Amino acid sequence: MTATFPQFRQQARIAIEDIRLQGALDTATGNLLGARIQALAELPDSEKLRDHLKSIRSSTLANLVRYLEIFERNAVAAGVHIHWASTGGDARKIVIDIAEQHGVTLATKSKSMTTEEIHLNDALAAVGAEAVETDLGEWIIQLAQEPPFHIIGPAIHKTREQVAELISEASGRSLAPDDIAMLTAEARRVLREKFLAAGMGISGGNIAVAETGSVVLVTNEGNGRLVTSAPPVHVAVIGIEKVVPTWDDAAAWLALLARSATGQPLSVYTSIISGPARNEDPDGPREVHVVFLDNGRSRQIGGEYEEVLQCIRCGACLNVCPVYREAGGHAYGSPYNGPIGSVITPLYSGLRKYEALPHACSLCQACKDICPVRIDLPRMLLALRETEVREGVIPWPERKVEEAAAVVLAHERLLRFVTWIFRRLQGVFLRDGRLQLPLWLDPTLGRRMPGLAQRSFRTMWQAGELESKE
Amino acid sequence: MSARDSIFKQLRGRAREQEMPPAWISRRDFGDPAGRFESALTAAKGEVVRAPSLAAALDALGELLRELNARTVVANAEPPLSGARLEQRWPELEWHIVGETAGDLRAFCARADVGLSGADAALAETGSIIVSSGPGRSRLATLLPPAHIALLSTSALTTDIFTWTAAREGGMPANVNIISGPSKSADIEVTLAIGVHGPGRFIVILYTD
Repeated sequence: MTATFPQFRQQARIAIEDIRLQGALDTATGNLLGARIQALAELPDSEKLRDHLKSIRSSTLANLVRYLEIFERNAVAAGVHIHWASTGGDARKIVIDIAEQHGVTLATKSKSMTTEEIHLNDALAAVGAEAVETDLGEWIIQLAQEPPFHIIGPAIHKTREQVAELISEASGRSLAPDDIAMLTAEARRVLREKFLAAGMGISGGNIAVAETGSVVLVTNEGNGRLVTSAPPVHVAVIGIEKVVPTWDDAAAWLALLARSATGQPLSVYTSIISGPARNEDPDGPREVHVVFLDNGRSRQIGGEYEEVLQCIRCGACLNVCPVYREAGGHAYGSPYNGPIGSVITPLYSGLRKYEALPHACSLCQACKDICPVRIDLPRMLLALRETEVREGVIPWPERKVEEAAAVVLAHERLLRFVTWIFRRLQGVFLRDGRLQLPLWLDPTLGRRMPGLAQRSFRTMWQAGELESKE
Repeated sequence: MSARDSIFKQLRGRAREQEMPPAWISRRDFGDPAGRFESALTAAKGEVVRAPSLAAALDALGELLRELNARTVVANAEPPLSGARLEQRWPELEWHIVGETAGDLRAFCARADVGLSGADAALAETGSIIVSSGPGRSRLATLLPPAHIALLSTSALTTDIFTWTAAREGGMPANVNIISGPSKSADIEVTLAIGVHGPGRFIVILYTD
């Protein structure tokens, strides 16, 4: 998957022209935003708590290796096998080796962005291990063979009719689309069999707590609990940036995570996994593995993009982004979409392959305002654009035009002169007062920009023709 | 160089000293923690039954089992259930007491109508109970059946997640779950559906002791 300029535009156009999808996007993002506002209003001192969590994240990243070492020591003491992966390929190999060692042919998964990032499911399928997604939304898009549309709502773009068709095909029973409770019950029945038959459970990890070597997983459906309780082996794949030193720190994270994501005070299930089942436990996995993934993260520490590693993956920035709310998740060509995805995808997977993402932004700053840890995404999107110009990702004609525009805009008399010339030349392109430029010259890609007015605002203002409303 | 060494080397080269902030102190103070627990859990589609004593709580449990038409029940062997002589009390039901009843626990949980548990602690703010693994304490018992009933004493209530972590010490059991309602999803058309993978009924009998 990539997001070049033509790809982004094409996917965005598909989403924008789909009226039903636009409605679904408005409903989903609007509901999530409304619920978040209420949840934070009910939490005392929420603004200070956001600052506090930011400070925890920043101070942890400053000395990440110390806390990773403490986590490792405590997790190993609890019986966890720890693995380290520099790249997505390393992580895939580690998980495949564990699967092969146990002769796994079926694995159940709880929703995990990290395993989406490394395309784990395809790699497992290649060695004969079927990986079944068990989060309802994630399962739906797995059946549809699509990437997730939203960080916390992977299937918000699907209608109940489409869902009914997908589940009917998977279960071999013909289901009516009008009853969502029935569709859910059928998903429960089909996936329950998978849970009990699976040889391995795979999860991500929302938080890794160094103090006790614990992995924290939050889910609403309970699939996180099943994946980590029913199969004999549990493997968690976690980004190295997800560690916190203490349980007090994890509490601040949890207090803001669900509130920012869905407006719930806590997700229904917060599961804390600290090693395999003890000898005297009646059930639980006999083996627990934690795979820590770097994949481009460690090289951000100390640089201008370190702040992006503070992200707690609540998805709030998607809901508030005017570009995401129109273009939808697939335009980003990455499991991480929206403003946060526009920064981390180029950093983890290459700026050239995802050249369009730094531009999927109007610099409105709404994402920075809503982020529970106040990550300055607009600053980093601008920095990525600068890098693109420096490295020649932006084609030189565009660069030259923009350099010229910068000069013109910086000099008032020059600007007046240039607009004077344009006003005289635009006549050939004007149709009903709007510019119709030849396609190769058209910066608006087919939208019709109004022509320059015969008299500018400045001229009218200076002539005293406009009255101040004060 | 191993991946661990190269990641750690990269991180060490970039590390800097920056002090961690002092722990966040809970800003909450509920005059009536039990009332808050009840309203928060009810808002999350869970159910709360209040009882003035443990004896009354067990009576309430009997009523709930009847109302749910329960025939097979799995119960964790933990307080206050372990002293309640469940099998003698309701001999008409088929019981699996974890760690005591012989037979396949997992298969029983998969067909049980109800799972019973106690709770280590509960968070008033969010209407959450905390359950953990251990001897006689099954994870699947509170997860696979369509209904989970927990007996919770008011003395186990703490204010919120911050007061819980502040009081916590030592290592963690292999598995701890903070449960804040019935299993739910909004993944199909942002429409709430209850009982996806976990129990669709989550009932807490909150008794005074």
